[in-house]
Formats: sequence, structure tokens, C-alpha cells
Amino acid sequence: MYDPSISSSIDLSIPSELGYERVVREAVASFAHRLGFATERVEDLKTAVSEACLNAIEHGNAQTPGLRVDVTCVWDGSGLTVCVQDQGLKPYSGHVTPGIEQRLRGDAPPRGLGLYLITQLVDACGFEPSPGGGNVLYMCMRRCPRA
Amino acid sequence: MLDDDLDVYIREREGVAIIDLIGDVTTFAEEKITNAYNEVSRKGARNILLNFRQNDYINSAGIAILIGIVTEVNRNNQRLAMSGLSQHFQKIFRMVGLAQYVDIYQDEDEAIQGFTAAMA
Repeated sequence: MYDPSISSSIDLSIPSELGYERVVREAVASFAHRLGFATERVEDLKTAVSEACLNAIEHGNAQTPGLRVDVTCVWDGSGLTVCVQDQGLKPYSGHVTPGIEQRLRGDAPPRGLGLYLITQLVDACGFEPSPGGGNVLYMCMRRCPRA
Repeated sequence: MLDDDLDVYIREREGVAIIDLIGDVTTFAEEKITNAYNEVSRKGARNILLNFRQNDYINSAGIAILIGIVTEVNRNNQRLAMSGLSQHFQKIFRMVGLAQYVDIYQDEDEAIQGFTAAMA
């Protein structure tokens, strides 16, 4: 019998090719379900993880063939931390781009909503330094919804 | 390649041009959605419904496409609504502010009623 009170983890590595973010999304969702996360939280996590992988594929690795995106998911007994690491061809500023009004006026590009969505959907997130270079985006989600 | 699978169909109901979006809405969907919008606009549509069905995956690139459609709708003085979104994606659309510019309905029937009331 699987015991979600003990720590466990999964590691994934995908090519820098659009569409592979869906593979990570499904794997992380399956892991979260197994750990007992509510369906709504799993949906939030799926979107956040997809966006993080998309950023890594498109931005951090610039869709360069041969470069990988590495994803680790660690369950500590109460929450899940997902780290998405790229090779850092383009570093992130961590800047969350403005809202839809600027985009509709043409003052901001229509793309770039991913980081904003991530900040809204998970309990905590941010960039952390990577000794080997590259961007590392971490996202934390507790099993119980925020009050 | 893991191309996304999106089928787009156009039909008309009670003066509303309905664009059915069946499948994933991602960067790969841009041409199909834009072509559908351009086609109904060429035919003179004033009221347009994007009817989502079985959309398990809508990402920020897909949302960017929809923002582009909203921009065109505003420019062309058309009315745009969306229906058929899951609760999760309704939340996402509210989060990014799309719901301020587009009426979001649970299903197609409700959307048609909304258009009819607005036209009355």
C-alpha cells in the first residue's frame, strides 16, 4: 500500500520541443493524484507546470535541439515542490509582464502570461541559482488548499 | 513532434457565428483559429461565439491567440462570447482578465440566450 506520508520524488527529462510539456504535465498530475491532492489543485498544478516547461523550452533553451529540460518533483509529506531547469541560453529576469489591458492596446506582446499564471496558481514560486548555470524555477504546492 | 490536435468548425445559429474548438488550444492552434475568425468576419458576422469542447489543454500561447481575437473583435465592433470552458479554464480566463472583455457562458444555449438578449 502506498503511503503518502513519507517523502518521495520523481525525475523527468524532456527534449526542448513544444508539446513535450504535456508529457510532464500528465506525469506530475498523476503523481499529485497519487499523493492525494484535490482535483482542483491538480488542475492548477498542471497548468503551472505546463507553463514552466513552456518557458524552459521556448525561452531558457530557445528550442535548441539537444538541450534538455529537467524536472524534479519532491513530496515532503505535506507539499510538493516542482523544479524546472533549463540550460539558460536566455536568463530570466523574473519579471511578471503586465495584464491584458496593455496587450489589447498593443503596448505589450500578447505572449508572456505564463509566469503570471504560475504566480497565481501555486502557493510559492521563484527562481533559484543553479551551480551549473541555467534557470531553475521552483513551484511549491501544499496538499491542502489555501485558506 | 507532439503537435496539438485541434478541430475547428464553423456554423451559424440564430444570428450567431459559432466557432467550435475541439481539442487543445496552444501555439499550434493559431492558424486554425485565426482563419475561422477571418472567415466568419468576411461573411459579415457581428456576433461570434467561441464554443470550447473537450479542451483538456489551453496554455498561455493559446490564451495569447484569444487575446488577438479579442483585439480584432474590438477593432471591428463585433461581439464575442465564449462557452463550454471547464471550471478550471473559466478561472484561468478570469485570472488573466479575459473575462472583462468577453462574456463567458456555461454552454452554447446560454450563450445564444445572452446574444439574443443583447440584440433585443
